[in-house]
Amino acid sequence: MNKRASGTAALIAVAALTLAGCAGGDEGSGGEGAPIVVGSVNTISGPATFPEASLAAAAVFDAFNEAGGLDGRKIDYKTLDDKGDPATATASARELVGSDGAVALVGSASLIECEINAKYYEQEGILSMPGIGVDTGCFASDNISPANVGPFNDMTLTLQYGSEVLGLDDICILLEIAGSTRPTYQAAIDKWTEITGKEPKYVDDTVPYGASDYTPYIVKARDQGCKALAINPVEPDAIGQVKAANAQGWDDVTWLYLTSVYSENFADAIDNAGAGIYVPAEFYPFTDDNEINADWRELMEANDIPLTSFSQGGYLAAKYFIEVLEGIDGDITRESVSEALQSMEPIENPMVGTPYAFGTQNTAGWPIILKSGTNAWEKVAEDWLRIGE
Amino acid sequence: MLQGAIAGLAAGGLYAVLGVCLTLMSRLVRVVNFAQAATGMFGAFTAVWFVREIGLPIWLGSVLGVLVAGLLAAAIGFIAATWLSEASTTTRSAMTVGPLLLLISMSFILFGNKPQPFTPIIAGPAFAFGGVVISQVTVATVAMAIVTAIVVRIVLRRTRVGTQLRALSERPTTAELLGIRSRPLSIAVWFVTGVISAIAIMIVAPSQSNDATSLSMLIVPAAAAALLGGFRRLDLAVVGGVVLGVLGGLVAQIDEVALVRNFLPFLFIVVLLLWTQRKEVWDAAR
Repeated sequence: MNKRASGTAALIAVAALTLAGCAGGDEGSGGEGAPIVVGSVNTISGPATFPEASLAAAAVFDAFNEAGGLDGRKIDYKTLDDKGDPATATASARELVGSDGAVALVGSASLIECEINAKYYEQEGILSMPGIGVDTGCFASDNISPANVGPFNDMTLTLQYGSEVLGLDDICILLEIAGSTRPTYQAAIDKWTEITGKEPKYVDDTVPYGASDYTPYIVKARDQGCKALAINPVEPDAIGQVKAANAQGWDDVTWLYLTSVYSENFADAIDNAGAGIYVPAEFYPFTDDNEINADWRELMEANDIPLTSFSQGGYLAAKYFIEVLEGIDGDITRESVSEALQSMEPIENPMVGTPYAFGTQNTAGWPIILKSGTNAWEKVAEDWLRIGE
Repeated sequence: MLQGAIAGLAAGGLYAVLGVCLTLMSRLVRVVNFAQAATGMFGAFTAVWFVREIGLPIWLGSVLGVLVAGLLAAAIGFIAATWLSEASTTTRSAMTVGPLLLLISMSFILFGNKPQPFTPIIAGPAFAFGGVVISQVTVATVAMAIVTAIVVRIVLRRTRVGTQLRALSERPTTAELLGIRSRPLSIAVWFVTGVISAIAIMIVAPSQSNDATSLSMLIVPAAAAALLGGFRRLDLAVVGGVVLGVLGGLVAQIDEVALVRNFLPFLFIVVLLLWTQRKEVWDAAR
């Protein structure tokens, strides 16, 4: 490198640094052309992980940036890992909101983050659109509105499908409880009772997470004469439960699970599904090769992101956010983004049964089934199942 | 109730097999191997990988997986025998926590953190009487626990190798002076227990939650089982495992105490320790 070139390089470096300094202002309002900072807090490492939602959101934002962004302004998407640890989740939110000056949080998927950070978001006047809301806090705060149905409404849906569509009595409910989710699940069960007038045979909320052997619970359910089991497990536990029933030769039980078990991996692992495993899928079933999911599928495959419900949620959250962003007149600041989200018109998307508007609950799932010996999920309905219909 | 108790037997047999391995290790090579279940888990996952990714037949994949588990255990044994041969039991046992965490992380990296799609070697109910179903896995694990304990006992009592092993465990220095080679023998013990754990885990993995963490953490109930025999007696380790499994099955049937089931092994350990220490006076036991 000769002297002049290195001088030029130094000048460019100084200029770049100065510009970066300007852009790093608070509230992400760095004048014309500065990137719009959007954050997300996710559980990417730890006992239960949800990496796909933020990956999918990142893919959507990258595509948006490549297409020119918002009048030339790029979206700078920052994803942090909370490791399923409350302290890290707290720190991550403060880093994104406080020092990075994010205008909103989009596409998060965390085991614990909503409940822990909801108060802080309210205090800072920032809104969060998780791709996948997991804990109770995601569905109870005015500042958080996930793109998905969530386990609680999903529980109501799966019960409703079992009792109303399949006509099953003697549904027993087994719950794996993490943190403070018990009352929220009870509310979901009560909602089902209110709609249908039916009661569960019994509710057992002592089912442990990550147990090695679920046989005793299955035996108890069989002895009590349950015809169907509604359970809310994470995927590995669900496999354990179905296998325990197989080992007991209990082949006429109907399983009413939640979207957490809807994956190719689960279908591969289950040969004997009893009288069928039913799930109200929170998004349009991705195992069904259909025009509806084509854009999502293409984007995921191009970026090597697993095709799961979680990546559907992250994808949708980012899509909704971009649509709202494009409708904002004037400055893009935290205030203007929050205001636009709170006053947004509902966005329709065939991938979900309920149009998305910030603060409204998604209450529709698409019923799917895993039959014995098929190792593949299939649709069992031609339309969305909605709570109370 | 009876059905519940019987349902716990499958888990009980598994705890018993692992408890026997732990007892064996503690007696012969002065170590409580925390990575006992983890090596078995890793071997079983390797077997699944061989079958699914390489396309080997199930029997061959299983044999290779079992070998991998044995070799892993032998590698840990090599470390213990080479660098910690003079160390106390506590130090040697503490060392095995490293491989435990390493194996869990490695399996996350290599095989992902999802449960593995095991093809069941044995599955379904074996027989039923009086409305009580006994699954094939139950028969297999309980039989394996009893057979392992008996075979180990015969080997130790009736064979030349067994005598050498006992000599090494009771008087290591004297045995070495007599010309018994300690390192190969102790590594062989590690290898054998690795193989046994892998076989046991392969039998049960298809019929229960089989992600890396829950399989590796089987070490807790296994340790509780081994504690009943004081990490010395094989027969009591078998009894301990079976009793713990049956208790777990029973407790889950009774609503009032179902919550206890999640920490039953810990309760079991605490009660045993209190019982065994009941005659100790404070000054001497401290």
